[in-house]
Amino acid sequence: MSVVHEHQDRSTSGYVPIREPLVLGNPTMRDITARIGSIVESKISAKYLLTLAFTASMAAWGLFALYYTVATGIGVWGLNNPVGWGWDITNFVFWIGIGHAGTLISAILFLFRQKWRTAINRSAEAMTIFAVICALMMVLTHTGRPWLFYWLMPFPNQMQMWINFRSPLAWDVFAVNTYFAVSALFWFVGLIPDLATLRNYVRGPIAKKIYSILSLGWTGSTRHWHHYEIAYLILAGISTPLVLSVHSVVSFDFTVGIMPGWHTTIFPPYFVAGAIFSGFAMVMTLMLIAREVLDLKQFITLKHLDNMNKIILATGMMVGYAYAMEFFIAWYSGNPWESWIFVNRAFGDYAWAYWTMVTCNVVSPQVYWFKKLRRHIPLMFVISIFVNIGMWFERFTIIVTSLHHDFLPASWGYYSPTWVEISIFIGTFGIFLTLFLLFAKFVPVIAIAEVKAIMPGAQPAHHHAHAAPVLTEKGQHA
Amino acid sequence: MSDRSVHASDGSPWKSIEQLAHGSQDTGEFAQEAEMAPLHENSVTRRSFMALVSASMALTAAACRRPETKLVPTVKSVQTVTPGMPLEYASVFANRNVAYGVLVKSREGRPVHIKGNNLHPSNRGASSPEMIASLLSLYDPDRIRRARVNRGQVSFDGAVTKIAEHIAEAQASGKRAVVLVDEHCSPSYSALQTAITAAIPAISFVTMPAIVNDNVAIANQQSYGVNGEIVPDLSKAKVIVCVDADPLGADKLSLYHTVRFAQSRTPSKDNPTMSKLFVAEAQYSLTGANADERVRLHPSQIEAFLGILSGGSSAGATTETTAAAQRASAALKAAGAEGVVVAGRHLSPRAQMMAASINKASGSAAVSASNVVPNSHEKWSAIATLQEDMLAGNVHVLITADVNPEYSASREFKAALAKVKNRAAINLHEDETARQCGISIPAAHWLESWGDAVTMDGTLSLQQPLIAPLNDGIPSVQDTLIALVNKVSAGFLGETATYADYVKSRWTGSKADWTLALQNGVVASVGAQPLTGTVAAQSNSTSTTQSNGTGAAQTNATTTAQTNGAGSMASAAIPSGMVLMTVPAHHLYDGRQANNGWLQELPDGVTKITWDNVALISPKTAVDLGLAPGLGAKEIIKANEQIITVTTAHGGIDLPVYVQVGMADNVIVTQLGYGRTQGGKVLQGVGSNAFNVAAPGHAVQYVAAKIEKQAGRHKIATTQNHHTLDDGNGQRTVARWISLDDVKDGNFKSLTDHFPGNLQEGYKQKPLSITPEYTYKGHRWGMVIDMSSCTGCSSCISACQSENNIPVVGKDQVMKGREMHWIRLDRYYVGDMTNPATIVEPMLCQHCENAPCENVCPVAATTHSPEGLNEMTYNRCVGTRYCSNNCPYKVRRFNFLNYNTETRSPLELAFNPDVTVRMRGVMEKCTFCVQRLHEAKWKARDDGRQRINDGEAITACQEACPAGAIIFGDANDPKSKISEAKQNDRGFRVLAELNVRPAVTYLAKVQNTASHTTTNHS
Repeated sequence: MSVVHEHQDRSTSGYVPIREPLVLGNPTMRDITARIGSIVESKISAKYLLTLAFTASMAAWGLFALYYTVATGIGVWGLNNPVGWGWDITNFVFWIGIGHAGTLISAILFLFRQKWRTAINRSAEAMTIFAVICALMMVLTHTGRPWLFYWLMPFPNQMQMWINFRSPLAWDVFAVNTYFAVSALFWFVGLIPDLATLRNYVRGPIAKKIYSILSLGWTGSTRHWHHYEIAYLILAGISTPLVLSVHSVVSFDFTVGIMPGWHTTIFPPYFVAGAIFSGFAMVMTLMLIAREVLDLKQFITLKHLDNMNKIILATGMMVGYAYAMEFFIAWYSGNPWESWIFVNRAFGDYAWAYWTMVTCNVVSPQVYWFKKLRRHIPLMFVISIFVNIGMWFERFTIIVTSLHHDFLPASWGYYSPTWVEISIFIGTFGIFLTLFLLFAKFVPVIAIAEVKAIMPGAQPAHHHAHAAPVLTEKGQHA
Repeated sequence: MSDRSVHASDGSPWKSIEQLAHGSQDTGEFAQEAEMAPLHENSVTRRSFMALVSASMALTAAACRRPETKLVPTVKSVQTVTPGMPLEYASVFANRNVAYGVLVKSREGRPVHIKGNNLHPSNRGASSPEMIASLLSLYDPDRIRRARVNRGQVSFDGAVTKIAEHIAEAQASGKRAVVLVDEHCSPSYSALQTAITAAIPAISFVTMPAIVNDNVAIANQQSYGVNGEIVPDLSKAKVIVCVDADPLGADKLSLYHTVRFAQSRTPSKDNPTMSKLFVAEAQYSLTGANADERVRLHPSQIEAFLGILSGGSSAGATTETTAAAQRASAALKAAGAEGVVVAGRHLSPRAQMMAASINKASGSAAVSASNVVPNSHEKWSAIATLQEDMLAGNVHVLITADVNPEYSASREFKAALAKVKNRAAINLHEDETARQCGISIPAAHWLESWGDAVTMDGTLSLQQPLIAPLNDGIPSVQDTLIALVNKVSAGFLGETATYADYVKSRWTGSKADWTLALQNGVVASVGAQPLTGTVAAQSNSTSTTQSNGTGAAQTNATTTAQTNGAGSMASAAIPSGMVLMTVPAHHLYDGRQANNGWLQELPDGVTKITWDNVALISPKTAVDLGLAPGLGAKEIIKANEQIITVTTAHGGIDLPVYVQVGMADNVIVTQLGYGRTQGGKVLQGVGSNAFNVAAPGHAVQYVAAKIEKQAGRHKIATTQNHHTLDDGNGQRTVARWISLDDVKDGNFKSLTDHFPGNLQEGYKQKPLSITPEYTYKGHRWGMVIDMSSCTGCSSCISACQSENNIPVVGKDQVMKGREMHWIRLDRYYVGDMTNPATIVEPMLCQHCENAPCENVCPVAATTHSPEGLNEMTYNRCVGTRYCSNNCPYKVRRFNFLNYNTETRSPLELAFNPDVTVRMRGVMEKCTFCVQRLHEAKWKARDDGRQRINDGEAITACQEACPAGAIIFGDANDPKSKISEAKQNDRGFRVLAELNVRPAVTYLAKVQNTASHTTTNHS
């Protein structure tokens, strides 16, 4: 796809494709550029500013709650003796999970040459990065003395102290940071050609300057494309195992522990499936909004949504399987602690959380067996929200129900969050949405170059016969 | 820096604490002591100078005088202060009129820990929470510092002069000047009271404790001719029948009893004998929780029960009562002289006499008529006389010396008090009574004052001050009284007389004996009683209870005859309907130490409630009252925290409901000692004052009550919630028990039974491991906890709190489940909710060899020592709480907030300087008192030894435990006590199946029941 060229004959728009087209309306290359570029170039609307102000104040409120926590102590949360982790780690795992769709779409679907990914990969990747930022924020501030966060890194120091490599939390530090670094790099590398497009597109001198710095002198030469392709492929290769590893490592936080309900070998695959599940749901929620607000129906078609819903259905089933298998193993193992904790999950103090989780995650995606429902926009919006809620409750259920009633009944307790924890969670959404809004406004929300590449006739090996590639005089695609 | 700290650093000797306190040059015999033991024998080195200077600066900065070291001999051979080295001084802690020997650990002149004195016969080295926690009261920031007359602060002298004027007026007008004192056991105080009354007849002393129990004395007068409380020795009984008595729980004698009771509670296969505790009671007391057999009795059934027990008719008894009484009676008969019946102090004289008659008939070896609590004579007649005199206007001045009648007395008495024009209070705190008094004088804490105390068997102990009064120049109650009398009658003891002089002047033995007495803390022999006079205070101006006999037992022999008439005691009229029973609080007792955070936060032994008194009711009563929809465990819990108004003939109070399983129906039990309103910040808003609804002190404490449900809820802070009643934990074999028959037959199999089955061959066997075993070459610390002797008295928690600087977190934090105690007493019920048995399982860090907390800490803040300790490095901890999450015993404690740095001055002086004070965000837990292990190591090194000998390293909990239930030591030493204890057949490890390999072995509780244990419930 290194060379993209204009469709020779625009009159061929009347042909009926065998496959559903990935881009509707048969736009020209220039149309695509203009469509995406205009989002950046258009004036900032009052509506946008209002929305931004709203999400920014959510973020500010959350940051205030976070400041209050750090200044006063973790005691302002509802945590107690049996329940040492509550919303903090629930949110951490939740956000890390959200981040998974991005890498999966960018890396794995790329390697599998799933062309439909082009419409959504940019925003999914952005979402990944923002979600990981939220996750990092949660994990950094959940400690009792967050100002000592750097003690979790192995660095030579005068204390002659080294981290404990046996601890899954230490693994977490590496896993999440690696994930963040690779995702950010991957995203940025993918952005370079588009930033160059924008550099050429925008009129404002400051914007032009910024985009030219960010586009790193991209000229679109064949050499550039060649290197770019290789780099992108390598990064996709590096990212692919990360999709599996990050959430596996996060699940080790629990599986390495000896708490019944945590100490389960099914967790790594189950967590990964759950992460993809929740990530796709979040992509879906945001895409449905963006598609409407930014008028991207042309690029994000029902086919895309259909495909994503299929993945949601598949991963939802995997998650459901894991839920069932946990119960089976708890019974089959004959371990009284284990079986008790699972019965307690379903029928104990937190049964409401468990059944919320099952309803949202297992029951609700079942509607996607029907194509009609897979393409029903209001329905899928609701389901995507459901899945997000369900996946948050999955983490909550795993963490809190396992802790609140463990081995010795005398030390049992109950946990409920305080306003501070709720505010912090709202704040992470604020940060996430604010970043996403800024992204949607200032960065091409759709991978322009990649979309162009999947346009009919873009590929030399396309089913149409083509003449030699035509380049514009500037060496830049129109 | 005060001039006195210069004294200490420049080596010029000051002579005594009295000199410092009063500026007196005449210190009598103490002056010689000073020369015998100078502060610094060598000239001051640069280092010690710097140490002293910096210590002085630090203490000055803490808004407190630098505490001085006392020139009194120490227990250990070290006679001088070495900065950094603790000294231990012997003294005596008098829990009202029960004396317990103590050793007070002093660091740089300030007391930091109180433990029992091994030489003292009452407690034999053990300690009680009240004893340990009284240290905190010493440093209580709410103590008053200045004397007050009306609203203005005056000098001590000014206040005393004012009172003296009132006394002179009383003398002139022929009215009474009365000093209200608490019950005590000090012979010198008694003598002083007599001397004062002799010098100024207008002054009389009336003993009025908050809780008056005259019934015992009345009954004993009839039964034994002893006007006082006879204390049985439970170690001499094989069958103990407690009838609504709580000797192991809320009782000033509980430490005495627990020490003795626990002696016969640990049967082994070779010696399968143990005492049988039979408890018949209305409440669910700690004694009931320890019962081998327990029966619930409505208070109206108690006398019927005793009647059957003493071989009488079963008239009025229900079939249940009859059956239970017959079982108990049969057991008693079989035991013969080895049986004893203990009747609750609050029971009617008739009930007391029935119990006495059973003991007399069987010739019970446990009861010795000479073992009488000092100062336990009948008190109410004097109080009643005083009340009448006050009402009649015959009392011109009333001095309340460390008593608080405005809080604890009846409405009638308070009304009479209001008639007294001139009132003065001598007290540590500006309490309810002091607030009502025109004159208030601060008093010194017992750790700041001289005194003495005598026990039941006549053992005398000396109380020596450990620290100069924290607030300059505050004298003890006795010193104030002496100063007062000196003002009225100049020739009394001399212008500069102090109580210390007075105590000393009564010493008839040699100076060397005095020194030895101070060193040991006890004067063992009764016969060679060196102090003349005995303990009983005059109960009123007319009675003559004073004698010059040698033992406390003889005190009451000359008491005047009772007014009740001999022989036919009336049966107590106890209503059969809803009855309110007011009992002393387990730890606060009568509320005198209510401003003590350690005691407020110490969970009740049975209910595990902190910071509150509640209305305890049985599940059925909760349903009957419409507070709970049904008897199911989940339904019953709904009754908790609802508010009810309890109204009796004496008044009404609002109390939150708490359902206590095992209680008799139609009974409400609530605790005294709460609901204080004045006297400090800690006690504010804690509970309701149950004295308002209780019968006046001398009466039977069962009152007919009406209940009215109120709207709203009152949150109750328990450290263990009601989940132990339900949620299917019946299958959990975490707290194990077996029957005595199991022990006899060597049937210990049920103790090692758990999932997975591969450990069934015994708990000593280790599961397979793929990694090589670590060999512990030096010491290997371990602990054995005997659940059979543990009664749940909670001394260990207090001792640990004092030793390890464990913060008090307050009710809100306890409600959130953030109490910080490193050792907790888990309570598990066995059996149905109607009358379950209780297992107490002390739970602390198990120092697992395979610790799940260690491998999950990302910063390696918790690690394993080569001696088997699971160590916590506070500095390194970042507070991920992962370790706590992964701890199967949930014994780790997280500092959610800055609990310790917000300590009000001078409370920080109570901190143990050997133990780090933790900041927020840091995890902490039991360390096996690692600071003590180090101290023992240094000692061993100084002695040129490689190893610590068995018994040299003692943890604070072990030291405090009256039951001897905690054994700590080196499991690598085959001859150590712990190695032997670890071989005990009753041993098991909690959650052994997890293969965490705890270093703590538990010895299963043994219930003295005939049946074999088939299943373990917990």
